[in-house]
Amino acid sequence: MYSFFQHADQILRGEDDGFSLGRSVRYCVVFGLIYGAAMGCFGGLGIERWQQIFYSACKVPLLLIVSFAFALPPFFVMNTLLGARDDFASVLRAILETQAGLAIVLVSLAPFTLGFYVSSANYEAAVLFNLAMFAIASFSAQIILRRRYRLLILQRPIHLRLMWAWLACYGFVGVQMGWVLRPFIGAPNAPINFFRAGAWGNVYEVLLAMLWKIIT
Amino acid sequence: MIGEWIKSLDSLLRGDATQLASLKKGTIEVPTNGLLFLIIILGAFYGACMACFAAFSRPAAGAILQMLASAGKIPMLFLLTLLVTFPSLYVFNALIGSRLTLHAVWQLLIATLAVMVAVLASLGPVVAFFSVSTTGYSFMLLFNVFVCAASGFLGLKFLLFTLHRLTVVLDEQNKPVPSTPAPISATPSTPAPANPDAITYDMPVPALPSPASPQGALEKMEGRAFGGNVTAIFRIWIVVFALVGAQMSWVLRPFIGAPGLPFTLLRGRDSNFFEAVWRAFWQLMGA
Repeated sequence: MYSFFQHADQILRGEDDGFSLGRSVRYCVVFGLIYGAAMGCFGGLGIERWQQIFYSACKVPLLLIVSFAFALPPFFVMNTLLGARDDFASVLRAILETQAGLAIVLVSLAPFTLGFYVSSANYEAAVLFNLAMFAIASFSAQIILRRRYRLLILQRPIHLRLMWAWLACYGFVGVQMGWVLRPFIGAPNAPINFFRAGAWGNVYEVLLAMLWKIIT
Repeated sequence: MIGEWIKSLDSLLRGDATQLASLKKGTIEVPTNGLLFLIIILGAFYGACMACFAAFSRPAAGAILQMLASAGKIPMLFLLTLLVTFPSLYVFNALIGSRLTLHAVWQLLIATLAVMVAVLASLGPVVAFFSVSTTGYSFMLLFNVFVCAASGFLGLKFLLFTLHRLTVVLDEQNKPVPSTPAPISATPSTPAPANPDAITYDMPVPALPSPASPQGALEKMEGRAFGGNVTAIFRIWIVVFALVGAQMSWVLRPFIGAPGLPFTLLRGRDSNFFEAVWRAFWQLMGA
C-alpha cells in the first residue's frame, strides 16, 4: 500500500525506474475507479443511485485501457517502420507511465468534481466541468510524456513526430471511446443503464453536423 | 514456417532487410511466397474489421456473408492491382536502363505490399471499433479511404526508399574501380588491357559505405540524393498504382456494406471511385 503511493509519487517526479505494464494498469484501474465513482455521484448518493456510481466507476478505467489497447498496434508498426524499433521498450514505458500519470492527476481532481456537484445541480455544467477535468489531466500527463521523450528525441529526432502520432492516434480513439461509453455522469431523471439508449454513434459525425449547422 | 515469415516481415518493417549490406545481391532477401501468404492473412483480417459495419446494420446472415466477402476481397484488391500494374512497370523499368532484374522488381513490390498491409492490419482494430459504434455510412467510407490511403502512402514511401538503396548498391557494384594513378614516369607504351570491363568485374567489389547508425526502412541515406530515371518511372508508377487500386476497389465493392442494401458479392458497373468519395464527403458535411 505504501509502495503503491510511493511509486505514484515517483511517476510524477519522473524518478520511477522499475516501470511495468502491470503497474500502469493498476494505477489506471484503481484511480480510474475512484474518479469514475466521483463522477457518478451527480445524481446523489441515495440507494437507487448506487448502480450509476458503480457503472461510472467501471467506465473510466475501461476508457483509459481500451483506448490505449486500440491505439497501440498502429503506433508499434509506425515505430518499427520509421526505424525506432530498438527504442520501443523505452517508448512503451513512456506512454504507459503517461497513462498512469493521467489517472493520478485525474484522481487528484476528483475532489473538485465533488465540490462542483455540491454547488450546482445543472447537468450540462457538470458535463462541461468533467470534460475540463479530463482535459486538464490529459494535458498535465503530457509533462511526463515529454520528459520521457526528451532523451529519445535527442537520440533520434524522428521520435518527435512519433510522439505526436501517438497523441493523435490515442486522442482520436479516446474521444470516440468516451462518446460510446456515455453516460459517465448520468442525468438524474434518466433511467440507469450501462449504455445509454440511442447514444450509439460517432462523435465526429455529430461534431461535423453541429459545425455545419453553425456555418449554414 | 509462419514464424519465419513473420520474422522476415518484421525485418522488412524494421529496415534490417533493406540495409545496404543486405541488398548486396541486388534483391531483397525475403521469402516471397511467405510474404504473399501474410499479405492474404493480414488483408483478410482488415477486410473483416471493415465489414464489422455491416454486422450492426443487417440481419445476421447478411453480416457474416459480408465479412467473409470483404475478408476475401481485400487481399484480392491488392494482388489484382499488383498484377495489373506489374507488367508495365517492369517493361518501363527495364527500358529506362535500370539494373533491377524481373525477380528483383517482383520481390521489391511484394515487400512493398507486405509493408502496406501490415500498416493496414495494425489499424484494423481501430477501424472495427469505429465500424461498430458508427451509424453513418459516409463517415465509415471516408474513414476507410483515409486509412487505406495512409497505409498506401507509407508502403509507397518504403518502395521509393528501398528502390533508391537498391540503385545505390547496384551502381556501386557496377562502377569501374578507379585504377591507382600510374606514376608519371611509367613508360607510355604499357599495353592497355584489351577488355577493360573484364578486369573491372574480376576485381573485388568495393566495400560499401557502412552507415554509422542503423537505418530505419524510411530513413534517407546521408549525402545521396534521389535521382535518375528509374525513380521517375517508379514515381509515375505510384500514381498509376494508386489510381488502379482506387478503381479496383470500386470494381470489387461493396467492402463495407451500405445499410439498407441487401448483401451482394459485387455490384453493377456504374460511376467511379472518385465520384463516390466526393459524394460521401458532401453527405458527411450535411449538404
